[in-house]
Amino acid sequence: MTETDPIKFRCQGVNVWYGQTHAIKDNDIDIHDKAVTAFIGPSGCGKSTFLRCLNRMNDTIDICRVSGSLLLDGEDIYSREIDPVQLRARVGMVFQKPNPFPKSIYDNVAYGPRIHGLARNKADLDVIVGESLGAAGLWDEVKDRLAAPGTGLSGGQQQRLCIARAIATKPEVLLMDEPCSALDPIATETVEELISGLGERYCVVIVTHSMQQANRISRRTAFFHLGNLVEYDTTDAIFSTPQDERTIGYVSGRFG
Amino acid sequence: MLSWAALLVCALAVAGFFVAKGRAVALGGDTPAILHSRPVYHGGFVAIRTALAGLCVLIFGLILSNIAIRWALYSGLPAGLSGIERDLIVSDGVALAGGNLASRSGEARDVVAALYARLSMIQGWGLALASVGVAGFALMRGLRQVSIPFRARSRFERIVQIVLAISAGIAVLTTIGIVASLLGQTLVFFSEIPVWNFLFGTLWSPLSGVHDGAMDPGKVGAVPLFAGTLLITVIAMLVAVPVGLFSAIYLSDFASARARSIIKPMLEILAGIPTVVYGFFAAITVAPFLRDTGAAMGLSVSSESALAAGVVMGIMIIPFISSLSDDVINAVPQSLRDGSYGLGATKAETIRNVILPAALPGIMSAVLLGVSRAIGETMIVVMAAGQGANLTANPLEAVTTVTVQIVALITGDTEASTAAGPAFALGFTLFCITLIFNIWALRLVRKYREVYD
Repeated sequence: MTETDPIKFRCQGVNVWYGQTHAIKDNDIDIHDKAVTAFIGPSGCGKSTFLRCLNRMNDTIDICRVSGSLLLDGEDIYSREIDPVQLRARVGMVFQKPNPFPKSIYDNVAYGPRIHGLARNKADLDVIVGESLGAAGLWDEVKDRLAAPGTGLSGGQQQRLCIARAIATKPEVLLMDEPCSALDPIATETVEELISGLGERYCVVIVTHSMQQANRISRRTAFFHLGNLVEYDTTDAIFSTPQDERTIGYVSGRFG
Repeated sequence: MLSWAALLVCALAVAGFFVAKGRAVALGGDTPAILHSRPVYHGGFVAIRTALAGLCVLIFGLILSNIAIRWALYSGLPAGLSGIERDLIVSDGVALAGGNLASRSGEARDVVAALYARLSMIQGWGLALASVGVAGFALMRGLRQVSIPFRARSRFERIVQIVLAISAGIAVLTTIGIVASLLGQTLVFFSEIPVWNFLFGTLWSPLSGVHDGAMDPGKVGAVPLFAGTLLITVIAMLVAVPVGLFSAIYLSDFASARARSIIKPMLEILAGIPTVVYGFFAAITVAPFLRDTGAAMGLSVSSESALAAGVVMGIMIIPFISSLSDDVINAVPQSLRDGSYGLGATKAETIRNVILPAALPGIMSAVLLGVSRAIGETMIVVMAAGQGANLTANPLEAVTTVTVQIVALITGDTEASTAAGPAFALGFTLFCITLIFNIWALRLVRKYREVYD
C-alpha cells in the first residue's frame, strides 16, 4: 500500500447504531488526502452510513448514534468544540440523486459562499461561481444561461451542478454518495472524469455500487460487508489480489 | 301505497340477485371458469336492472301524474276566477282531501277535494301496479338471460359507470343552478338600481325607503360592507398567517415526533370547533376583554369591534394555514434539505433559503384559501362585528360585513321578495370575489406541483 499521501481522516473504533440496529461495527480506517477513496460493498453494508459520519450528516437523523474517534487533520469532529455546520462547510457532500435547489444555476452555486460569507461583493461571488462551474466542467455549457433554473438541466448536468455547488464552499474533503447511480452511461463517464480530476486537489471519498467505477477512478478501495470494514487497500490490490474470502467473492461477482 | 311499491321493487331486486346468482352457479357446476362472468355479476346485473326499472317507473310516473292531476284540478274549476283565487281553491281542496284545515270552505273546494281524492287514489294504485309489474318483467327477462356466454360483468359495469356519471353530474348541475339563480336575481335587482350606485355608493341602508314604496338608489352603496369585510379579513390574516406558518415550520422541521403527535391533533380540534362557538367566544370573551384593555390604555374600543371579530376569525383560520402549509413544507423533498445541510447551512438558513422558497406557492395558496374563508365567514362577524354600515379603517370601531348584511336582510321582517334583491346582489358579488381567490389559489397549487414532478 502506498503511503505517500498524507492522511486526512483517521477513524478508530467507529460504531453507528440506528435505534437498535448496529449499522457500523467497530471499524478503523485512514483516508488519505489528495486521492480518491472508494467504498464498495453490497446494499445495506454500511458504506453510505460510514460516509455520512464523516460530515456528521447522521446528526440530522434522530435515532442515529455514533461512537469512536474520527479525526480530521487530528481534530475529533465529534468533539463538543466542533460545530457540525462549520464542519460541513469543510467536508462537502454530493448525493445519489442530483438535488439542485429550485433556484437559478447561479444561485445554486452561490448558495454556500453566501451563507458562509466567502464573497465580499458581487464580483467576488461571480469569480467563485465561475471557478466552481469551471472546476465541475459545466461552465461552457451553462455560461450563457446562469439565470435559468438549475432543475431544468439534464441529469448529468444537474449532478455536476451539485458538485460545483459543493466545491464553491472551498471544502477540504468531498463526500460522494453514489453520485452516478441516477445517471446514464455517457453522463456517468463525464462525472467520473471530473471526480478523477478532483482527486488531485481534494480528499474525495466516493460510495459506489459499481466495481468498475471504483476500479476506474479510485486510488484506494474499502470493502464493507454487514457493517464491517472487511478489507482496505489500494484499488489495484483489492481487485487483483484480494485477501479476504468475502472480498474475493464480491469482486469476482459471486455475491452482492 | 307508493312506499310499499318501492319496498316491493327492492325486495324483487334482492330476490333477483340470489336467484340469478344461484342459476349462474348451477350453470358453472364443477367448472365455474367456463362462465364469462362470475355469478355475483349475474346476480348484481339482474338486481340493479330490476330496481332501476321499477324505481324509474315510480319516480317519473309520479312526476308526470302530478302534473296531470294539477291540470285536471284546474280545468275542473268554475270559469271567471282570478289566478290567485284559483291557486287558493286548489290548495285548500288538496288540504281538505288530506284531512287538514283549509282557509275557507265552499262548494268549489269540496268538488276539488273529492276530485283530488279520487285522482290520487288512482295514481297510487296505478303507479304501484305499474312499477311492480315493470320490475317483475325486468326480473324475468334478466333471469332468462343468465347463461354461460352472457356478459353480465360488462353490463353491470356499464350501469355502475352511468350511476357514477350521474352523481358527478348532480354536483355540476347544482353549481350551475345556484349560479344561475344568483345571477338572475342579481340582474333583476340591478335593473331597478344602477350597478354604479351599488358598487361605489358609500351609504348602506337599503330597506329604509321601502315603506315609502321603493328602494332609494342613493342608499344601496355596498362600499362600507366590502370595506368592513376587507378590514376584518386583513386583521384575521395578520393573526392567522404568521401563527399558522410558524407553527407549520415548527411542526415540520423542529418538533419531535412526540410534540408533533400532540400538537397536530390539537390543531385539528381547533379546526373542528363550530364557527358559532367562535362567534360567541368573540362576542362574550374577546370583545369585552379588548374593550377593557383599551379603556385601561385610554383608547375607546367599541364593544363590537372589527378587531375582536378579526382576531377570533384569525384563530379560526390558523389550523387551515398551518395544516396546508405543513403539508407543502413536508412535500419539499428531503434531498433538498440534505443538500443544504451538506453545504454547511444551519436549520434556519435551510428553511429560509431553500424550504420556504420551494414551498412558497403552496403556502400562498393556503393563505388565499384562508382569505376566501375569511371573506365568506358569517357567524363570528354576526355576533362580534356589529350591524351598522360604518365606513372606517379603525379596527377599534364596529363595522359590518357583506355576510352580516345578507343575514340581516333575509332574517329581517321586511318581505322576503323585497329584501332578497340586495341580498342576492351582495351574495353574487361575494361569490365572484371568493371564486377569483379560489381559482387563483388552485392555479398556484398546480404550478407548485410542476416543480418536482
